[in-house]
Amino acid sequence: MSTTSMRPCGDFRTSYQQDNTIFETKFIWLLAVASVGLLCLAPLFLDEYFLSLAIQVSYLGIAALGLNILVGFTGQISLGHGAFFGFGAFASAWINTQFGIPVFFAIPLAGFLTMAVGMMFGLPAARIKGLYLAIATLAAQFIIEDFFARAEWFSGGSAGAMADSVNIFGYLFDTDQSFYYIAIFALVTMYLWGSNLMRTRDGRAFVAVRDHYLSAEIMGINLTKYRLLSFGVSAFYAGIGGALYGHYLGYVSAEGFTIMMSIQFLAMCIIGGLGSVKGTLMGVIFMVMLPESLESVVGLMKETSWGNIPAVVDGIAYLKEMAIGLVIILFLIFEPEGLAHRWAQIKNYWKFYPFSY
Amino acid sequence: MNKVLLGSLSAVSLAVAASAQAKDEVFVGHLADLSGPTAFVGKYYADGVRDSLAYINKNGGIDGTTVNFETIDYAYKVPQAIGAYKKWKSRKKMVAMQGWGTADTEALISFAAKDKIPVYSASYSGHLTDPMGKNPHTKKPAPYNFFYGASYSDACRALVKWAADDWKMKGKKGQPKFTHIGANHPFPNAPKKACAEYATELGFNVMPPVVVSMKPGDFKAQCLTLKNSKTNYGYIGNLGGSVLSLIKSCKTVKTDIQFMSNIWGGDKEIFNAIGSGVKDYVFPTMTPFWSDDVEGMKLVHKVSLQSDKSGKKQRTHHYVRGVCSAFYMKEAMEWAKKNGGITGANIKKGMYAVKNWEPKGLEGACMPATWTNDDHRGINTVNIYKGNYENGEVKIDKVSEVTLERRDDWLGY
Repeated sequence: MSTTSMRPCGDFRTSYQQDNTIFETKFIWLLAVASVGLLCLAPLFLDEYFLSLAIQVSYLGIAALGLNILVGFTGQISLGHGAFFGFGAFASAWINTQFGIPVFFAIPLAGFLTMAVGMMFGLPAARIKGLYLAIATLAAQFIIEDFFARAEWFSGGSAGAMADSVNIFGYLFDTDQSFYYIAIFALVTMYLWGSNLMRTRDGRAFVAVRDHYLSAEIMGINLTKYRLLSFGVSAFYAGIGGALYGHYLGYVSAEGFTIMMSIQFLAMCIIGGLGSVKGTLMGVIFMVMLPESLESVVGLMKETSWGNIPAVVDGIAYLKEMAIGLVIILFLIFEPEGLAHRWAQIKNYWKFYPFSY
Repeated sequence: MNKVLLGSLSAVSLAVAASAQAKDEVFVGHLADLSGPTAFVGKYYADGVRDSLAYINKNGGIDGTTVNFETIDYAYKVPQAIGAYKKWKSRKKMVAMQGWGTADTEALISFAAKDKIPVYSASYSGHLTDPMGKNPHTKKPAPYNFFYGASYSDACRALVKWAADDWKMKGKKGQPKFTHIGANHPFPNAPKKACAEYATELGFNVMPPVVVSMKPGDFKAQCLTLKNSKTNYGYIGNLGGSVLSLIKSCKTVKTDIQFMSNIWGGDKEIFNAIGSGVKDYVFPTMTPFWSDDVEGMKLVHKVSLQSDKSGKKQRTHHYVRGVCSAFYMKEAMEWAKKNGGITGANIKKGMYAVKNWEPKGLEGACMPATWTNDDHRGINTVNIYKGNYENGEVKIDKVSEVTLERRDDWLGY
């Protein structure tokens, strides 16, 4: 939040337009376009492992941004985000196989369907808030999870549902290299949309509801409407993310969308920075890369002769799980405002180098 | 400090270089759950797999080819499983994979089929057995998925068949009642419908399923439901602590019921944990028990020495299944080596090469298995054991051996 509350000297803005701009300078704009261009070239250099991680970051990132809009921007809480993510995955597969609608259109449709479900479970927000709302959304998590296991017409029950690959004009996006483009396209679109949303009337209303709901109401903001809308937008993002996940794997099983996943989404938002679009993506990258980088350290140890015995491998397995927990705790203590805050500080330092104070 | 760092770094790079120099080797990935929610049985199974691979390497490998393998603990998390798979596939040229549970196996079905990498798992879901998608029930054919054992559905059918005989043998009158007991979760649900259908066919009165959470808890209410409905045979779909709580609760309310559990719901460790209350607890296995006097078990005992130098450890039947899974893969790889080289596609063909197949040296330990191009039901025979806890000791006896027919409408279901 350093950008809104405290502004370093030399950073002057004279109009609302300047205040709201996504790309602060021409150079940043160029840099953003160039990095998207560079991302598009990535399949030429990176192997499938890195591509699959990038795809993971994309679909989780989209869903996490949804949660951040709800939690970070509107000040509500949801513990059912993992279930909405799963709902999107099943819905897209269902729309595709049941009605024969091409996957490319099934994904946004699944987003809207999830949005409807999200708004339904967001209804309690009209009356309750804080911890009470958290428990109410927890119910959504369990109801939807149970629904997956029972509704065979929708999710295939215990057998799961199959999800076709994305197919555009006969070209099948079924490899990591090709699906990567779908994922990046979705990521950039949804993040741009998310950034823009926050500059609109509705986005400002979200922030007003978060900062002081009484004042917001006095200013003429319909609280119920905007709380519900926030739940809807959040679920929409979760649905899109889930749908991408389903079509990437080609198969959706009812098993994965547990409360743990919901909490992981919350962790991504908190680590990245609540109320920051950029931060969300950083948090997601952090959470995806942390276990992988620990795993590669373990992998290096296993290459040695003393490291590749079951006792050591098992011991490291526990250490790895603990290390993930430890890093998260340390993060919350030393970086409570998230990676976005740290990034802003680094940027400001270099912006005024060597005359920053 | 720097010197130590340098030394260890160079040691690591030396080790890497050394492993890279060995030419004649193939890579097999091994996903295991050692620290996640299914770790308490995942550990045993994983030990079986990696001990076998280590043993195979020490004894000549695949006709001289070393099996380079890496065990990754993915803690039952799908993203980690996908990450590990992609890493192995793109960097190590994996030819086959030993997997673990429902989560990883199902997430990797499409990838394995596309990349032509056989995946051997310990997820015994019925729908993995229909490689061509012949049964209309099959949502997604899984052509590159194999497992050693009877599917959850088939194991449950075998238990129901045994129960029908048991009812007759005990000379009881009337229609026996059958109830499915388990959480509303894909794993306990997997055999629910298939098993209920077969039970009805055999003349059981199938009662509404009783939902019991996967997490341990107080299940007296559920036990009273079972008691009031006068259920004779109850199939337990859960595993671990949940089974423990169920048995304890039902003992307290004195439910008179014959429990029959799924493959993961009964082993010596869990009976020891439950203690008194285990009475004629029936469970299926696909292998003999550790202490059974079978020729093939001698090799299993030798394999066990890989991680237990003392040789005193009592392994569970999950361990033995892990060993079988690894040895079927080994022999399929040997076939592949003779018939065009060790590639995923050839290993798959190798799985179809022998009928009534028992890996060499494991005769009797692994049951004769047959995989064909359109039927991945490896075995259709299930051993049925019962466990008792008497005077501080667990007693396990073989009750019966049930062989099911390979019915077409049961394929993949």
